[in-house]
Amino acid sequence: MTIGASRTIRAGVTVMGLLLLSCSRSAPVPPPQPQIHTVVIEGMRFEPADLTVQPGDTVVWMNKDLFAHTATADGGFDSRQIDPGGSWRLTLQTPGDLPYICALHPTMKAIVRVRTGG
Amino acid sequence: MKVMYVAGLVAALAIPAGNASAQSVTDPQIAAIVVTANQVDIDAGKLAAAQSTNPEVKKFGQQMVADHTGVNKSATELVTKLKVKAEDNDTSKALKAGGEKNLTNLQSLKGAAFDKAYVDNEVAYHQQVLDAVDKTLIPSASNAELKALLVKVRPAFVAHLEHAKHIQGTLAKSK
Repeated sequence: MTIGASRTIRAGVTVMGLLLLSCSRSAPVPPPQPQIHTVVIEGMRFEPADLTVQPGDTVVWMNKDLFAHTATADGGFDSRQIDPGGSWRLTLQTPGDLPYICALHPTMKAIVRVRTGG
Repeated sequence: MKVMYVAGLVAALAIPAGNASAQSVTDPQIAAIVVTANQVDIDAGKLAAAQSTNPEVKKFGQQMVADHTGVNKSATELVTKLKVKAEDNDTSKALKAGGEKNLTNLQSLKGAAFDKAYVDNEVAYHQQVLDAVDKTLIPSASNAELKALLVKVRPAFVAHLEHAKHIQGTLAKSK
């Protein structure tokens, strides 16, 4: 065996050792990066009407309709009036299901689910 | 009186349907029908907002004023841009006459009778306008942007109809 080959093997063993070392330590799972989700309001509908997000994520409601709307969750959030062409954003922290409606057009219904993991 | 109004409205909006082979209205006629139909509901909504003592009916009236004003704003902007001059026709004239009859009838009523007459008419009105939009106005519109606007406002008529039906049910239960 030449000296060069021996060095290569030794270097290889060292790299493997480091890899094993790093695997054996329980590396903390990095928290997911907060995401921004968009709900489009158009044609008297929220789209998507069923949205799942992680705590810390932000939801932006964009009103592309001809009419003013709201995103209003009873006991939860209330955008108040979002004019045509306007938008409203909210960062959600607490896990749970938040059904909401347009307070001006109560037939418009949707839900945002705040879930950890997944 | 209410029955007369609804019957008049049905007749007004059914004119083109009676002659299926020639079931078409021109874009200038559509413009007049759209603006008149919205104005009729704005006027009724203003009266309900002012005269009803039921918070749900009052709020619905205010919403009709807001939404139909929004439709008319978009429609007026579009026809101005397209240089379409609204042209009165039998349907728009009948709608206007029906709307005036409805207002006269509502002005003679108070309390629960007013609310019931207003909401019953809103249900009938939105159903008939929706039928006209589907069967006559959208199929007849020749300009693509005018057709697109009609398609875009259609869901509002559906939502208003459902909302009015819901209030109709609430009023019937609270008797």
